[in-house]
Amino acid sequence: MWFLVPAFAILLVFFVLPTLFNFVYAFTDWSGFKSEINPVGFDNFADLASSGTLFSALRITVVYAALVAVFQNVFGFALAVLLERDTRLNRVARVFFLIPVLMSALAVGYLFQALLKPDGGVNQLIGAVARQPFDHAWLADNTWTIVVVALIHSWKWMGLSMLIYLAGLKTIPEDVMEAARIDGASRWRTFWAVRSPLLAPAVTFNVATALLGSMNGFDIVQATTGGGPARTTEILNIFIYRTFGQGLFAQATTMSLVLFLLVALMAFPVIHRLRKREEIL
Amino acid sequence: MKRWTSTVAVAAALTLGLAACSDPTADRPADTTVSWPAPTGRLDGVSLTIWAAQNSNTVPKKVIEGFQAATGASVEVVTIPDPYEQGIQTKVATGDKPDLAFWQPTASMLTAINARSNLQPLTDAPWLPAMAPQLRDITGLLDDTRYAALVTSPAVEGVYYNKEVFAAHGVTVPPRNFDEMVALARQLKAKGVTPFYEMGADRWATQWWVQVQLADAAKSGLWERINTGQEKFTDPTVLGAIKKYKALVDEGLFNPDIKTAKFEDQGAALLDGKAAMVVQVNSFFGQLQAKADTATLDKRIGFFPISPSGNVGTFIPDQSNALVAFATGDAKREAAARQLLAYWMGPGYPDFLADRNTVSLQTAVPDPAGVPQALRDVHAALPASVGSMQAQAVANPDLFLNLADMITGTTTPEQAAKATQDQFAQLAKAAGAPGF
Repeated sequence: MWFLVPAFAILLVFFVLPTLFNFVYAFTDWSGFKSEINPVGFDNFADLASSGTLFSALRITVVYAALVAVFQNVFGFALAVLLERDTRLNRVARVFFLIPVLMSALAVGYLFQALLKPDGGVNQLIGAVARQPFDHAWLADNTWTIVVVALIHSWKWMGLSMLIYLAGLKTIPEDVMEAARIDGASRWRTFWAVRSPLLAPAVTFNVATALLGSMNGFDIVQATTGGGPARTTEILNIFIYRTFGQGLFAQATTMSLVLFLLVALMAFPVIHRLRKREEIL
Repeated sequence: MKRWTSTVAVAAALTLGLAACSDPTADRPADTTVSWPAPTGRLDGVSLTIWAAQNSNTVPKKVIEGFQAATGASVEVVTIPDPYEQGIQTKVATGDKPDLAFWQPTASMLTAINARSNLQPLTDAPWLPAMAPQLRDITGLLDDTRYAALVTSPAVEGVYYNKEVFAAHGVTVPPRNFDEMVALARQLKAKGVTPFYEMGADRWATQWWVQVQLADAAKSGLWERINTGQEKFTDPTVLGAIKKYKALVDEGLFNPDIKTAKFEDQGAALLDGKAAMVVQVNSFFGQLQAKADTATLDKRIGFFPISPSGNVGTFIPDQSNALVAFATGDAKREAAARQLLAYWMGPGYPDFLADRNTVSLQTAVPDPAGVPQALRDVHAALPASVGSMQAQAVANPDLFLNLADMITGTTTPEQAAKATQDQFAQLAKAAGAPGF
């Protein structure tokens, strides 16, 4: 068992200890303003609970995560179904949809920020098609910008969902499909009654990673809106980043602890439910 | 037995980890005396790092060239991406320090970087006697210890206006106080001119509108009262200024695209005469200098300070105006960093001013010939100016962010004031200010 020690040492230093400190520092007054660190009990939690910003950031985070989970899976699933057959064209197309997954998230964010500016490429294209100037500020709408940003996030990651759905589709046994055909099921019926349920493990993985991954999102939102307009896209990590940057390290730590607990609280029921769906297999 | 040893091993590892992860910026005793090496003494083999922001990374170019040639040291400028201050605080908190960095020299920002333990005191700096007396101690001090070297004229919040637009509508004398300015704006609007231009999307300039209205209150101790909790942002003085700003926006005295306009749009609008006035600071003029030459600027752009009672400016030294030297623990490099500052403000100063085309802070060094008139006017407004929130408050809350939210219509002036006060109290408490 001693050969496990190096692995555990790395796990301890880079994972266990930081997580532990996340719990410890949340109960202190650690800040950039002074060198001493004193315990303060639940003060940070009380402060956060009394100001509305934390709850609004939490709400935005959950909405954002839910939107990303839906979009990313719908896109990924649609792509997987469309590109399922192993033709040469499909193989090339799969590679192209996988490229955004490999791109830097910040690059994706800045790219879309430039495209979606009032005088950016998207509006110029719409203007050219409609033959009249079009200058909608896509990233400055208090209601819809979060949807736009969630779409960008989903665009970046949909290739990964596609890949996993594809793998799921490929593992469906041919004899099950054949039995369905012999029973006289239409293609539509086969799709919904046989293939979709058999994709349950892929759905579990995709929904869980999309939902929980986007709860920890930061880069794409930071690059596109920075939390604006009027903080309607200020997800918790942006809020934490801003607080940390002001030197309020303990408060930022408290928030990241809250985020950690929130992700854990959401992860268990979601994964449990999705796993339940798999039991029919 | 085996179990017991592994428990001990884990406990030991955890304790070790805890010790290793304690605050890397532990207090060090403040030096009582500071030695200042000769500005051009040899420094062969010494390499220094300067952290700069995207808008200040070209500032030291000429100084570095001169310093490297004179001393043999090598100096590297590292650009820290925006938001600059956040990036620096995060790096310093994790134990990463440069030799020098551009930094806002105000007490609140010196507190924010924990100057007492992270920075070198610049006591008895050799260039101080040469500084213009009224500018010597205007900023850079925290509890009477000097931590920052002011290299360029600190920014002043005031009104940049398009002279041609004013002339075309028969305005010969700039407004003499805030109310006159608003009255003029209404006249201009009636003639179809956009009186004011604001950059709601880039957010940070929104606070100037509130701060210039507070200039007189600041003179009579507003920030001291706020610093001690006797007065709040939610009390009539500050809240009234926020409400007035909102009322002017609602009245339609600003550009119609105020919510989506950016910093660059603001510069272009004033230069092209699409708007008459902009309340801004020096970095705005820096943008105009990048867009037009001195002759064009002198012809088109003017500056006047403003406050409710008259033409009083509000000064706000920013990050591009000053440098701090870090206490890195390496005595040789710390001395070299001080030497670079001494060179900058000493033998290298005239070349620096000529390269940056900016006004001189030293009585014996004349301004370079090509400094635009507006910049001279800004500098002239400085001695009579009062300190901004950043210069006088013990903490620097995100007033601009709350005002930008208000402009987009998601919050009321009352909510903006309350959010600012809450954050101020939180920061003041963290900074150990009494009364919070």
